Amino acid sequence: MSKTFDAIVIGGGIIGTAAGYHLSKRGLKVLLLEKDYLAAGSTGRCITGIRQQFSTPATIQTAMESVRMFRSMKEELELDVEWKNSGYIFLAHSEDMVEMFKKNIAIQKTFGLDVEFISADECKKIVPLLDADGLIGGAWCPSDGQANPFLVVRGYVDGIRRNGGEVKIASEVIRISVEKGKVRSVSTSGGDTYSAPRILNAAGPWAKNVGALAGVALEVEPDRHEALITEGVRYMGVPMLVDYRKDGGYFVQRVTGQFIGCFTPEKKVPGFSRESTLEFLVEMSRRMCRLIPAIKQVAVLRQWAGSYSMTPDGSPIVGETDVKGFYCCVGMCGHGFMLGPALGKFIAQYMTEGSWSIPMEEFAFGRFFGEKERMA
Amino acid sequence: MKGKEVEEDKKNTIVCRCEDIAWTEVEAAVTGGITDPEELKRFLHVGMGPCQGRTCGRLTARIIAQKTGKDISNLKSTGQRPPLISVPIREFLGDRDE
Repeated sequence: MSKTFDAIVIGGGIIGTAAGYHLSKRGLKVLLLEKDYLAAGSTGRCITGIRQQFSTPATIQTAMESVRMFRSMKEELELDVEWKNSGYIFLAHSEDMVEMFKKNIAIQKTFGLDVEFISADECKKIVPLLDADGLIGGAWCPSDGQANPFLVVRGYVDGIRRNGGEVKIASEVIRISVEKGKVRSVSTSGGDTYSAPRILNAAGPWAKNVGALAGVALEVEPDRHEALITEGVRYMGVPMLVDYRKDGGYFVQRVTGQFIGCFTPEKKVPGFSRESTLEFLVEMSRRMCRLIPAIKQVAVLRQWAGSYSMTPDGSPIVGETDVKGFYCCVGMCGHGFMLGPALGKFIAQYMTEGSWSIPMEEFAFGRFFGEKERMA
Repeated sequence: MKGKEVEEDKKNTIVCRCEDIAWTEVEAAVTGGITDPEELKRFLHVGMGPCQGRTCGRLTARIIAQKTGKDISNLKSTGQRPPLISVPIREFLGDRDE
């Protein structure tokens, strides 16, 4: 006989644990299933940045809500998740970038974001170690920040358990039963079956595979990104520096004093690979030192790789699928950790009340991905 | 030793020297349900310092085995990440920036 829950969440990353927490907070009996260990996928491989500087209304509002949630997370989850509003600077090294950043700032300001275009001198004031060679200025948002993804996930999981829910690791969902267009139950690799009227796909890069178990097609493809972290040095409050040049990258100083960063590969690496490359280590070292030459004295501790979950238009897919009761919160395109807390809360509200806190058309399931968007 | 002294001893026993984590902290995490070495590494940062678990890996495995009753030889060790030992970034710059 199968055990029954009010909601089952598939995936133990930021999205699944945040959604599971908010569902359980609403009084639902929640079961969360993770195929590996908690934060084993993309969440635990991100570089901890949390920004609100986006260019479209739903993403900006979601990110702003996330930051509001990160600010009070210590009280909410009874755990210090190392939130720090260390800010983000998008560095402009060309007039095209200046124009693009200023256009985005105008949109962001309509939602009340504390973002400004500042001069190269002002950038240097914030980051005295910055080599401003060729720098025109930057888009500076001091309320952007960073947090520890492992602790955030842990906080949500403890919260689910406090609220009477269950969290099972090493439990891969291998079957989803659908009857008359409605989701019914899931079966795991361990041979257990659990029923619920609401099931959420929060499987990150594996979202497409989990969707397929219920006969739902999701256009989410994994794509490898590499990262590295250095040893800790004195905390100097270096914000996330986003170098927008073609051979740029982004890195931040963690509250632990460590520098953590990555860059988007010029040529995509599709698939589930988590191989690290020496090329990345060498390139990232060069790119970090170009902005902060003093970093050359710091030692690299580790490098690793993880998957982005890409959708054709670069925005998440959040909502109910064409199978009744089967929801998805997938396709984070590298922004899962920063959007996760708010999206988890939004989808929990949608799964219980059927309503959204903000207009969510941008993230709608089944939206048309036009040819132009596919090319982008 | 009496129970209380053992507890005091564990508090003063550093399992992970890189990240300064005591025996009692590892025990508490394992008792709290974090029994996968990879998850323990991420939550407590044991093995995330320069030694990458070469010092603390066996100790944490022993604590997990003791607390959960699992056979220590069945516990997976955490993955090793390049560059394995910490290397100053200047070593990767070659001639270009020197």
